[in-house]
Amino acid sequence: MACALWLAAALPAAAAEIQAVQTTVEGEQVLLSFTLEGAFDDPLVARLESGLPTEIRYRFLLQRDRKRWFDADLDEATLTVVAMYDALRREYLVNVKLDGKLLESRTVEGLDELARVMTRMERLAIFPLRPSSDRRRLLVRVRAELGHKNLLGFIPTQITTDWVESPKFRRPAEPSP
Amino acid sequence: MSEEIPAPSPAERHRRSNRLILAGLSLLLVVFTAAFYLLQRGRDLPAALVTNRVLLFVLWYVNVVLILIILFVLLRNSLRLLLERHHRILGSQFKTKLVATYIGLSLIPVLLLFVISQQLLRGSIDRWFSTPIERILPLGSKVAQRLVVELEEASARDAAAVLGEVVRTGGAGPEARRGLPRRLSGWLRERGLDYLAVFEGTEFVQGTIGEKLADLPDPARTVLREAVAQGMARGQSTLPSGALLVVAARRDAAAGEAPVVVVTGRLLEAELAGSARQLIDAAQAFRQLEVQRDDLKASYLLIFLMMTLLILLASSWVGLYLARRVTVPIQALAEGTRRITSGDLDHRVEAAADDELGVLVSSFNQMTSELAASKTQLETSNRELVTANQRLGTERALIAAVLENVTAGVVSIDADGRIFTCNRAALAMLRQREAEVLGRPLAEAWSDPERRKLAALVAGAAPARGRMVREVQMILDSDWRTFEVKLTRMTSAAEGGPVAVLVLEELTELIQAQQVAAWQEAARRIAHEIKNPLTPIQLAAERLLAKWQRGDADVGQALEDGVEIIVREVRTMQGMVDEFSRYARMPRPQPVPIEVASLVGEVVHLYRDIKPGVAVRGSVAPEVGEVQLDPEQIRRALINLIDNAIEATDAPGTVEVAARKDNGHLVIDVADQGRGIPAEAREKLFLPYFSTKGRGTGLGLAIVHRIVTDHHGRVTVEDNLPQGTIFSIELPAE
Repeated sequence: MACALWLAAALPAAAAEIQAVQTTVEGEQVLLSFTLEGAFDDPLVARLESGLPTEIRYRFLLQRDRKRWFDADLDEATLTVVAMYDALRREYLVNVKLDGKLLESRTVEGLDELARVMTRMERLAIFPLRPSSDRRRLLVRVRAELGHKNLLGFIPTQITTDWVESPKFRRPAEPSP
Repeated sequence: MSEEIPAPSPAERHRRSNRLILAGLSLLLVVFTAAFYLLQRGRDLPAALVTNRVLLFVLWYVNVVLILIILFVLLRNSLRLLLERHHRILGSQFKTKLVATYIGLSLIPVLLLFVISQQLLRGSIDRWFSTPIERILPLGSKVAQRLVVELEEASARDAAAVLGEVVRTGGAGPEARRGLPRRLSGWLRERGLDYLAVFEGTEFVQGTIGEKLADLPDPARTVLREAVAQGMARGQSTLPSGALLVVAARRDAAAGEAPVVVVTGRLLEAELAGSARQLIDAAQAFRQLEVQRDDLKASYLLIFLMMTLLILLASSWVGLYLARRVTVPIQALAEGTRRITSGDLDHRVEAAADDELGVLVSSFNQMTSELAASKTQLETSNRELVTANQRLGTERALIAAVLENVTAGVVSIDADGRIFTCNRAALAMLRQREAEVLGRPLAEAWSDPERRKLAALVAGAAPARGRMVREVQMILDSDWRTFEVKLTRMTSAAEGGPVAVLVLEELTELIQAQQVAAWQEAARRIAHEIKNPLTPIQLAAERLLAKWQRGDADVGQALEDGVEIIVREVRTMQGMVDEFSRYARMPRPQPVPIEVASLVGEVVHLYRDIKPGVAVRGSVAPEVGEVQLDPEQIRRALINLIDNAIEATDAPGTVEVAARKDNGHLVIDVADQGRGIPAEAREKLFLPYFSTKGRGTGLGLAIVHRIVTDHHGRVTVEDNLPQGTIFSIELPAE
């Protein structure tokens, strides 16, 4: 028991936090906006500046809200933002992939801009959402994965934020014939 | 006909199972590694990073598998040992101690080594990143970057200035283009640029290069597009002569016109560019290492852990193996001992061992075999003994039945001189009750003077071994009884059992019958003997009467002759009557100590030269000495025997009288070289009035027998080989 408590205490807890999760339904798309605060700490910056590929992986879950039971998963998606620093050019190459498909590749200069690119997502079209007569409440859950740390020096563990829920929303109504 | 495949042994099955597990784990390692590799490849990571991660994964996998195997082996063996101890299996405590010692001996130093080495490694890694290189490399990188930045900034200033000049001189319009190459060359030289070009949007208008460049380079479209979009952009082009650092500056154009873009470039020579690149790369590599310090430590830690676990696994396995090699034979021996203790002598210890334990196992099995053989032999002997005892019991019962029913009296005597058994016939003969004799000493059981003769016979007169026959006469309850007593000494007497057996044959009735027959014979003989002289007397008297009646002249002579015959015959009859009278009046012997040698010499002397050609010799053994005898009676017995011997021996011949001692008895042999005595006559030889000579009274040998018997001795006759007869007188000499 004591050992389990000690191990739980030793698990890495991310200082980063998902904030301001907002969803907007436009047409058949759920557009998602959120920010990841506190992710750019010294280790992450050091890793970025060392030229190692550094990624932040966002996990998204589209769920149907159920009041007295666990929410039901409807869809899931993964957004991977990978940055790699070119020391000679002093610029960061940033690739954004959604479920493995490249959405955007760009270079940015400066950490501030890089932080903005990697941690501030505006109106991301994550989930397609067709109109349906089933207009029960939906929500999106977001979690960020920020690499790994070694527990006790040699046990690799993922650094993640907590799951954060978006405000609940409904499917768009079917257009009347 | 198919041949049956033998079932694999447990050890073979165990080996196959181990191989399968190892193959399965290896296959899983390959599969997982491949999957992990593909996953990492999908993340667009550099190859080196992917390799590092895959290696880390492999190390992880191996370590986790090793930990699981070690835990499994240790847990399994610990549980097994605990169960064995719980069930109190013989040897489990010893095995536990041995295994604990082996594992402890390997575990403690290996863990110590692991802890110390990983601490040293962590310290070493930390020291790597605390050395001056940590400061030097970033500084160098910064210098190199600053150089590039300076060049770019200078190019940017030049681009802005040239852009202003271009705009001031008419831009890039058709009219202005005529003098543009000259002006560009001038600005190039004036500002020390290596490349200068004017674009309308992304379309090339005019450009010039310095001496360091061989051809007019084509700046990257992305730089142009970025400059058009953002007003200023920079970039690098790698050329054979070095790295061309370009800066593009844009001036906004009127609506519908393409913006003017000026691109300036400075060449960073190949050597300098390479050095700067190396500096930056080295610094980046160092930073990457520093960033991955924890991963690096983890990988080394995992390698150390893997080695530690491998050593631990090997040592644990070796410990268990050695413990098993020691304890398995010991357990087998203990089990064997238990089985043998419970009587299973066919059990053999099968544990394989080739050291001293092997010798012990072999000796144990040999001992067990010998024990089994001994047990079999003992069982066989026991069965034989039981059979023999049963047979002996049967024989004993048979003998007891026989003894109880035979007419002969049988008395057995033990080593202490006590009566061991006495059958009914003996009790009847001796007129005693069983309680009076059984278990009592001979002197007590036969204490009266008559029965004491038997006790004396057993105690003194009997030979140490072999058989002795005596005729004993006793007066029991006023009855004169005669017994033939046969005393047998047992040569192989059992401890506590009889050592001598006395067999009594009742001869009284036989002797009485013999006496009746003898007296009948005596009467016949007496009548015959009397009749013999009577006939001449009768004939002489009748002749005298006839002569006198006839009146013969020689009546006187006839009378003289007749009287002479009558007188002679009457004398013969008188002698006969005297002989009978003497036999009848024979007194009981009066023993006195007498020198046997003188007695024998005196008797032999009487017969010297009595018969021509027949020598009479006497010899007495020196050990004979004095013996208690009635000298007159013994002399008479000897005379009778020597008379018969001389008479039977034809000249030339010899009669020898020899005296010796044998087993406490005086033995006097009288041997002749005569015709011998037929066997059928020997039974009657000592009866009164029996004679083989056809004359005489027949009382000589009867008198000898009577004298010897009265001396508690006996007289025997046997052939004197090659010719003649030996009469032996055997008398008690003590």
